Amino acid sequence: MSSPLLDVWEAAAASPYHPAVGKDAQFTLGFVLLLISLVLVTVFSLNRSFVNLPLLGVPGSLAFGFGSVFMICAAGVYV
Amino acid sequence: MRSFSLFSSCVIALSSFAVAELNLSQPLVSKQVLSSAFTPPQVFKNANLVRNTNLDKAYPRETINVVIENIDSKPQSEYYLPFESGLISRIGGLEVKDKKAAEKGNFKVETVGFGTESSTSTEFYLIHLPIPLAPKEQQTLTITYSVLSAIAPIPAQIAQSAKQYVQYTFSAYTPSAYVTEKQKTKLKFPNAEVPDYTTLPADLNADKKADPQKQGSTFTYGPYNDIPAGAEQFVSVRYEFTKPLTHASMLERDLEVSHWGGNLASEERYWLSNQGASLKNHFSRVEWQKQSYMNPPTSALKALNFALHPGAVDPYFTDDIGNVSTSRFRPGKREASLELKPRYPVFGSWKYSFRVGWNADLSSYLRKLTKGDSYVLKVPFLEGPRIAEGISYARVNVRVVLPEGATNVNYWTSVPLVDSTTGIHKTFMDTVGRTTLTLNAINLSDEFRDRDLIVTYDYPYTAGLRKPVVITLGMFAVFATAWVVGNLDISIGKKKKTT
Repeated sequence: MSSPLLDVWEAAAASPYHPAVGKDAQFTLGFVLLLISLVLVTVFSLNRSFVNLPLLGVPGSLAFGFGSVFMICAAGVYV
Repeated sequence: MRSFSLFSSCVIALSSFAVAELNLSQPLVSKQVLSSAFTPPQVFKNANLVRNTNLDKAYPRETINVVIENIDSKPQSEYYLPFESGLISRIGGLEVKDKKAAEKGNFKVETVGFGTESSTSTEFYLIHLPIPLAPKEQQTLTITYSVLSAIAPIPAQIAQSAKQYVQYTFSAYTPSAYVTEKQKTKLKFPNAEVPDYTTLPADLNADKKADPQKQGSTFTYGPYNDIPAGAEQFVSVRYEFTKPLTHASMLERDLEVSHWGGNLASEERYWLSNQGASLKNHFSRVEWQKQSYMNPPTSALKALNFALHPGAVDPYFTDDIGNVSTSRFRPGKREASLELKPRYPVFGSWKYSFRVGWNADLSSYLRKLTKGDSYVLKVPFLEGPRIAEGISYARVNVRVVLPEGATNVNYWTSVPLVDSTTGIHKTFMDTVGRTTLTLNAINLSDEFRDRDLIVTYDYPYTAGLRKPVVITLGMFAVFATAWVVGNLDISIGKKKKTT
C-alpha cells in the first residue's frame, strides 16, 4: 500500500538521523563539560571582577548548559 | 509544603489508573447521523457471498467475500453494511478491499447511525467504492473485521485445571442491507471438540442437506438462496477453548523522540483482563505449582511475549506495586524478545495492569529530509504481546511526543482511527512543552501489530538549541548574581576611602 508519506520515508532512505553526539559519548562529553564549568566557576569565585564575568562566566555557563543536557541524556532521561 | 507536593504527586500518579478504569464505557465512534426512517436504497444485490469465521483466536475474525452487482439504472458507489447497534460498538478493524485488486488499498469506510439510540436496532458501515459501479456490473469485495468481547464462557465458572468451553452466537444468514442470492458461512474452530451447536432444518438449506455440514474442525452453514435484506437466523456454537481470553480495556502507548539523546523511548501501559470462565473455587497455589511442570493448556494468562524490534535496550516491567522481577530479555539480531510473567496467573474475570517500556536508537526510526529542517519518523502503531490465542484492545491511545519546538506535524497510518489531536506535553526540562500527536483507535486486535505510523515534522536547528540555551542563561544569571552580591558593600561603619 502506498501513501505520500510512505514515499517521503522511502525517499529519505539515504539520510537516517544520527545525533551530533552518539549515545556512547554522552557521558564523557557531559562529564568533561561539567568539569570545565566547575573549574571556571571556582576561578570566578576566587576573583569576582567585572572583566571575569564575561571572560569566565560566558564559557562557564555554556559548558554547564550543554554539559548538563548531555549528562541528563546519559543518565537515561532523554530530553 | 513538601509533604503536600508529595501527596499531590501520589494522587496524580494514582488517578492515571483510576481515570483509565472509567473509560470502559461505550467507545466514542464518530459517525454520520441519519434520520430514523432511513433504509439503504436497494441499488445493489449480493450475487454470491461466502463468509469465513475464524475462531482460532480469542476473538472471532470474519472475512466476507461478496460479489456485488448494481441493479439500479445509475452508477452507484455507496454500499451499506448493517450491524445491530449493540454489536457495532464491538466491531473492530473493519477493512474493505477489492478482492481482485487488493494492492490498490482499502476503501474508505465510515460509520453511519441514527439520531436517537432507541429508535432503531440497526446501524451501518458505509463503504465508499472508489470507482462507482456501473449498472449491471459486478465487483468482488473482501470485508474483514473482528468482533470483540463476542465469546462467552459456558459454563461461566470452572475448576482451576478444567477445560474451558466458550460460546459464540451469530446469524447464519450474513447480515446484509441487500438481497443475497447465494450465501454460506464457514466456521473454523481451534479444534474438533464442538459439543453443542444449533442445527437448522434441512428445508432452509439450498441443497436440502443437514445444516451445518461438519468436516473436522470446520463447519459450514448454508448454502442459502435468495435471503431478503435484513434477514437473520441466530445460531450458537459452543467449543473447547482452554486458553485465556485476553482483552485490554485500555492501552496507552507513548513514543518519545529525543534528538539530543538520539533515542526513541517507548512505553506501553496495559489494563488487561481475562474474559474467560472464572474460578469455581478458591485459587489453589499447590495445584497450580504441581501442574506447572507439565505445562497443560490452561484458561489462565501465564506469560506475555513481546517481540520487540532489534536494537531495543533498557527494558522495564513494572506494575502498581513496583518492579516485576519475573521477566527475561533476550536481545537478538532479528528481534529482541521480552518475556513477561505477570505477578500472578490471570484467571477468568481477573485483571492485571502493568507498564512496560524500552529504548532504541533513533537512527533506525528517524530520517532527515534532504531539503529544509524536516524529519520523517516511522514507528509501529502497535507492538504489544505476541500470543497464539490473540489479544484484543478496546481502546488504544498512541501518543507521539516530538521534540520541543517541532511544527507542521503530519501523519499517516493504515490503522482505522477515531480521533487525532496535536497538542503540547510538558515534561522534564521543557520551557514551552513538547509537540505531541495523539491518535486514538478503538476495537483493535493483535493483527494490527507492526502496522506503520509515519509522522513528518519540521524541527529547525535553532529550536533544538532551546534546552542548552535556557540552562546556559540560568547559569549565567547565577554568575551575574554572584558578582552583584559579591560587590555589595555590607560592611558596618564608615566606608574606607581607597587611595
